[in-house]
Amino acid sequence: MAGTSTRKLLDASFTGFGIMSIVLMAASLLVILAPIFSKGISAYVFRATIEHRKAQLDLFEEGSEKRLHEELGRVAAARKPVYDMLSAFDAELASKPAAERRPYTAELKELKAELRALLGPIPGESKRMLIRDHYGQTRWDRALVEQHRVLFAEQYDYSDPTKPGIKIWVPRADRFKGTALEPLFPYVRDHLGDMLLPRWTFYRGFLTQSSRDAHFFGGIWPEVLGTFYLTIGAMLFAVPIGVISAIYLVEYARENALIRLLRSCISTLAGVPSIVFGLFGLAFFINAAHVSNSKSVLAGSLTLGLLILPTVIRSSEEALRAVPATYKQAALSLGASTWKSITSVILPAALPGILTGIVISMGRAAGETAPIIFTAAVSVGKPLSLLQTLTQPTPALPWNIYNLCTEHEAVDEIRHVQYGMVFTLVVLVLILNLSAIILRARLSKKLRT
Amino acid sequence: MSEARSLMLSKKASRRRRLASLAGQSLLFLVTSLSSVAVLFIFIFIAKDAIPFFELRGFREFFSSTQWYPSHRPPEFGALAIFFGSAIVTLGAALVAVPLGVLAAVCLSDVLPFNLRQIAKPVIEMLAAIPSVAYGFFALVVLAPLLQTRGGGALSLVLWAVGVPVSILLVIVLGEMAGERFPEKVRRPVTFLAMALLGVAALAGLLRAASFLNDLKIASGANALNASLILGIMALPTVVSVSEDALQAVGRDLRMASYALGATRAETLLRVIIPAAVSGIAAAVILGIMRAIGETMVVWMASGNAAQIPQPWFNFLEPIRTLTATIAGDMGEADQVTGSARYHVLFAMALCLLVFSFLCNVASEWIVARTRRRMA
Amino acid sequence: MKKTLIAAVCGVALLAGTAGWADNSKIVLDGSTTVGPIAKAFAEYYMGKHPEVNITVSESGSGNGAKAIINGTADIGNLSRRMKEEEFDAAKAKGVDVIEHVVAMDALVIAVHPSNPVKGLTKDELKQIYIGEITNWKQLGGPDMKIVVISRDTNSGTYETFQLLVTKSDRVTDKAEYVGSNGAVRQRVLTTAGAIGYVGLAFTEGLKSLPVNDVEATEETVNDKSYPISRALYMYTNGEPATGTPLADFVNLYKTDDGKKIISEQGFVPVK
Repeated sequence: MAGTSTRKLLDASFTGFGIMSIVLMAASLLVILAPIFSKGISAYVFRATIEHRKAQLDLFEEGSEKRLHEELGRVAAARKPVYDMLSAFDAELASKPAAERRPYTAELKELKAELRALLGPIPGESKRMLIRDHYGQTRWDRALVEQHRVLFAEQYDYSDPTKPGIKIWVPRADRFKGTALEPLFPYVRDHLGDMLLPRWTFYRGFLTQSSRDAHFFGGIWPEVLGTFYLTIGAMLFAVPIGVISAIYLVEYARENALIRLLRSCISTLAGVPSIVFGLFGLAFFINAAHVSNSKSVLAGSLTLGLLILPTVIRSSEEALRAVPATYKQAALSLGASTWKSITSVILPAALPGILTGIVISMGRAAGETAPIIFTAAVSVGKPLSLLQTLTQPTPALPWNIYNLCTEHEAVDEIRHVQYGMVFTLVVLVLILNLSAIILRARLSKKLRT
Repeated sequence: MSEARSLMLSKKASRRRRLASLAGQSLLFLVTSLSSVAVLFIFIFIAKDAIPFFELRGFREFFSSTQWYPSHRPPEFGALAIFFGSAIVTLGAALVAVPLGVLAAVCLSDVLPFNLRQIAKPVIEMLAAIPSVAYGFFALVVLAPLLQTRGGGALSLVLWAVGVPVSILLVIVLGEMAGERFPEKVRRPVTFLAMALLGVAALAGLLRAASFLNDLKIASGANALNASLILGIMALPTVVSVSEDALQAVGRDLRMASYALGATRAETLLRVIIPAAVSGIAAAVILGIMRAIGETMVVWMASGNAAQIPQPWFNFLEPIRTLTATIAGDMGEADQVTGSARYHVLFAMALCLLVFSFLCNVASEWIVARTRRRMA
Repeated sequence: MKKTLIAAVCGVALLAGTAGWADNSKIVLDGSTTVGPIAKAFAEYYMGKHPEVNITVSESGSGNGAKAIINGTADIGNLSRRMKEEEFDAAKAKGVDVIEHVVAMDALVIAVHPSNPVKGLTKDELKQIYIGEITNWKQLGGPDMKIVVISRDTNSGTYETFQLLVTKSDRVTDKAEYVGSNGAVRQRVLTTAGAIGYVGLAFTEGLKSLPVNDVEATEETVNDKSYPISRALYMYTNGEPATGTPLADFVNLYKTDDGKKIISEQGFVPVK
């Protein structure tokens, strides 16, 4: 046996390790949530440029037309020198012999592409089809990135072939030295604010608008609505069955082999991996039972409902068991039947506990991805009406987060949308859980008094 | 009570009432059995599509070959590397979640005062609530680039953070224990000497390990380490809450008895409470493992999906591929119309997952039931 | 009272629901992630003109596109490879009359991280990399850096095209990382110094694309077939859709001037 001091020290350090583990856990939560929250909020609150307001008015008829016109006038005045310099340079080039022109063509094309990305279409050019090419940068943070790309060309120094190249930013101004374009660069550097008029904006539309042009514009409403439908659908299926099962298991079932089997079936169901639910949903609900002839919200809801069924059963069971036995005895002794005593006495008493479980499993259903991949989720679609949910698939937050951060053709340009989606989903789920926690706190207070 | 009631009712009324209650009960039973029907259907439907694979290709290749080329001509369906991938991330997740989770559970049940516990609990609940795709997003967008650009540094930082407290504790305890062996007079200096020697050795070891880690270049941030870390964090809440329940179930009496014998809290926990709760903790570990092995999105997004057994096998910095990610990723080619083995092999994998989680479940239930019997 | 009301509402909902089965105001597309951008942009364009039509696009891989057409779960199957014999046979067996539409041409661009000094590869070197014979950029005159091989998932048409044209009968190394889409390849290569991957023309933004056999992947080299790894992109329908239906309008968009513009603005090569 170690000495007393060692024992004391061991004791203290044991406590220390315990606390450290909790702190580590809290820290990892923080590390995960911090970027999601800080960058996610910027999908809603950011410095929006005139291009954002223009797109909002054109695409969604949001905002004041009069004010936009006034601003557009100011912006056009600020941008005029840029376009004047471009056309002056074009004229300059045209007057030169072909041999002198050639070195500039590629450079000019690149510069024009960057300018187009920054400020939107250059006047006089033919109109492009994709909406993303109709507007410049809508966000000031992205505009600054793009401004840098206008001012500097990204190059790599490969002089040492045994090492990876080193990134260098070459000022484009050097390439156009002595031409009509040379003053363009200091102008873009100093007058970007005048050309884009950034303003802090709370972009409510991120939640309420549909996306346009593969999430380059607009918001995430179809995804939010899809998640909502899927969750509600899953609850409609799981809650009645779950609560009734719990009532049976607590109030009626006697402990015998059959019931034990039932119980272990429920816990097996709880342990089935979510992707297996997805496969089952595909193989059973769609391919065998034909609840819809392809992916649909209905099929997804059923699959999700199956997934959360054990959670609902277990939490309802716990809530029912927590009701003091005296309640039931009192009801029975007043001559109520078992069923009557359950519906009028036990269920109301257990309701807050049952609700807590339901709310938590709602959060689970809203966030699950794997079960809906094969049964309900698509990457692009309109917001559905209630009836369409029976036959049509829908975008949904969890799937579209995956889709946007891996499958989209411009992953970095729409990073803020991805963060915004993750943020919205996490907040949604956390709000559900928070209300469950509050509900439970109230409940325990009530039980104590 | 029921006799009293039947006395008050006519025979016919009582029969009707009994019949109604019987009918109601059977209805309730039917509804309840829906979930077992669901389990049965899941097994049947997964197995129905899995069996043709084994009929087509037999068992040997699937379980013993590492050649996974489902769309090659001729195709090969050796899933050993994929089984290995699932196993290794689960092992990694367990390495993160079990020590941390059990310590946290002990802390929650026996160390922290009630108020602090009320604060710590929501942390665990939030960890459990965050959707898996959000974890996957974090792993892919934040953690993977971080591992690639500053992976070595970050790893050595972790080593310092965990290694320093552990080695300080070890040095002091071992030093004291060495000192105990000597007579009272020389005890202090000997203890000091032993501690100094051990301290230097530990420091040297840490420094070496840290510099090794610091120089480490991680070619790809989507690897087993990334997936294991995140899966470990995801499995934590399960491990914590189930083992805390187990620790609570041990009861006050044992604790009081141990304290009364003069044991410190650490000794009480280590020698009395944890041994008594060990089966519950084992159940917690099993449930945590089930959570990790069944998770799809994180491994799909962050494990690299390379169907290989890394060299050496414990190299966590290599990309690997898991069963769940294979199902999710390969289902696109799953054309059951042509009845191809490619479709059925995914169901074969799902069946393996299903059987594994079923066995885990049975094991944890058996453990819990056995404990309950022993406690009673 | 309340109950009858609920029953009535349910009844109406059911009726309307069954009525909803027959609506032809929706077009469902499923399949290749390479064709995804075209499909999404077409959907955007079409729904802008015909707001009453709901077009959903899933990007789940070419295999899924073929499957969806065979099973009738989609109106249009997007594929980045031709349908296989087995798939044609299966469709025939199910009574599906598969009609092929070549909507655009595409190249498989060999992409590396922009910091990679390697100037180009031969088709043979490319093959050696993908079958695991060449594992370090040093072997190609580059820096001493492990090659991180990124491949598309085996369910993609892009993978099958690559296999058909490059690796042929040899097997891709088991060290290869598999990702689910073109966007993911781009993302992985962009963030990984030693990576190499192959992507469609529309996904090269920010990457360094390597010439293969000294030929750069551009619109011209794809058109004159001098770029060695190019392919067509397909949409498949069940039978030729009746003229005048939204489906017919939609699937023929690629022949219109606007459609061609959309395709080339996306970075693909419109069909002449």
